[in-house]
Amino acid sequence: MVKQISKNFDSFQALNQVSFEMNKGDIVGLLGKNGAGKTTLMRILTSFITASSGTVTIEGDDINKHSLTIRQKIGYLPEKPPLYGDMTVQYYLKFAAEIKGVPKNKRLIQLAKVLEECDLEQVKQKTIATLSKGYKQRVGIAQAIIHEPKLLILDEPTSGLDPMQIQQVLALIKNQRDQRTVLLSTHTLTEIEQVAQRVIMIKSGRIVLDDSLDKLLKNKDTSQSQPLTLEQVFINLHQHQASDNTSQTPESTRLKVSDE
Amino acid sequence: MSKIFALTKKELHSFFSSPIAYIILIVMLSLFNVFFFLIIDQNREVSLRDVFQLMEFMLVFFIPLLTMRLFSEEKSNGTMEFLLTSPLTHTMIVLGKYFSMLIFFTLLISLTLSYYFIVEYFGEPDPSSILSGYLGIWLEGAFFIAVGLLASSWTSNQIIAAMVSYLILFSLYFATSFTQYVGGSAEHFLIQMSTHTHLENFALGIITPSDVVYYLTGILLCLVLTRLSIDNRLWQ
Repeated sequence: MVKQISKNFDSFQALNQVSFEMNKGDIVGLLGKNGAGKTTLMRILTSFITASSGTVTIEGDDINKHSLTIRQKIGYLPEKPPLYGDMTVQYYLKFAAEIKGVPKNKRLIQLAKVLEECDLEQVKQKTIATLSKGYKQRVGIAQAIIHEPKLLILDEPTSGLDPMQIQQVLALIKNQRDQRTVLLSTHTLTEIEQVAQRVIMIKSGRIVLDDSLDKLLKNKDTSQSQPLTLEQVFINLHQHQASDNTSQTPESTRLKVSDE
Repeated sequence: MSKIFALTKKELHSFFSSPIAYIILIVMLSLFNVFFFLIIDQNREVSLRDVFQLMEFMLVFFIPLLTMRLFSEEKSNGTMEFLLTSPLTHTMIVLGKYFSMLIFFTLLISLTLSYYFIVEYFGEPDPSSILSGYLGIWLEGAFFIAVGLLASSWTSNQIIAAMVSYLILFSLYFATSFTQYVGGSAEHFLIQMSTHTHLENFALGIITPSDVVYYLTGILLCLVLTRLSIDNRLWQ
């Protein structure tokens, strides 16, 4: 649960009173333009940076009081996969398992599991620096799930991948649904439509939309009687909020807009 | 503890995966051996006192090359985010990295233990003074590594990290050179701050609590400051 999180960098306010909850098994798409505050929010959730105010709790643990416990429950893939180019895939994942506290007797089992799940078996002996971008991204996801986290946070996991690689990564994310909650940041709206059940849209550090994807897409555009795409919702929202007034959300979309 | 060990292992693995470790090992040992031969040949003494003094001077040059990448590389590669969002305390990260370089340095120094057997072949050296000399040089190396680690935590640029380490280590090493310009308590302070002063006793076979405390305090202070630097993300 994220409650009234704000973050200031000197005079710049990156996040402003952001609140939302996520339920077990949710795949939530976090949308927003560049600089909207998505990465800042994710970095706060992973304890990489601290919020200026507000609280984050996961299964009752407060991030400010139980940072280590929270980090044990989180798997995180930053925008740039945090990989050591000189290591083999297998060595790196073993290292990730060790520092993430996977018990010694379970490490090999977990390693085999993520190698299979992320389809890395054939490259496990290869040095990470020699892998394609798609494989590197999958290694990044493998390290994020090797300790069976309750919450998986992915910051633009398909960035820079070719269409084939994007589909592979999205399939991998979709498979996480039964095992953990996923928070996925992207600005490729079709990807959200493929994997997420819920969408949170951030604009200038504020949540301007938080609703289930089904509900959003079932809403009809009154003028065209056509189903909306997420892209239209996104564009509508940004156009109508040009004056930065969140209460002026297009009525046709019937969106739940945060009251901040 | 197992997480610290995992970090140490990873550092050593990365270090030995590149040619840097081997180059430093070969260059340092070659220089130690050349100077050992020259000093023994010139002094005609069955003592390693001057060898230890020379080792100290060479450590000032080489340790920053070992430590400059420790944190700087993680930051420039983006892997610092991986470490800081993993369930590791900042102390674990600092100690894991510190121990890796300490192990490498111990390996390097242990490869010079043959010097004792060489001087023993020519005479009867005092084993206790050689042992205390080795303890002194090990403590000094451990202190220098802590200084280098601290400098590396301040920046994502390896060159800057090395330059800052050089500045600190040269200041400590040459502190006694400035005593002629000051007097009284300032002079005493500079003498006490100098690493040279403290190693001298060890090289003579004298182990005093104040010398041991000097090194241990220096190590602890640098490690605590490194942790604070990580806590406060000073490189950002």
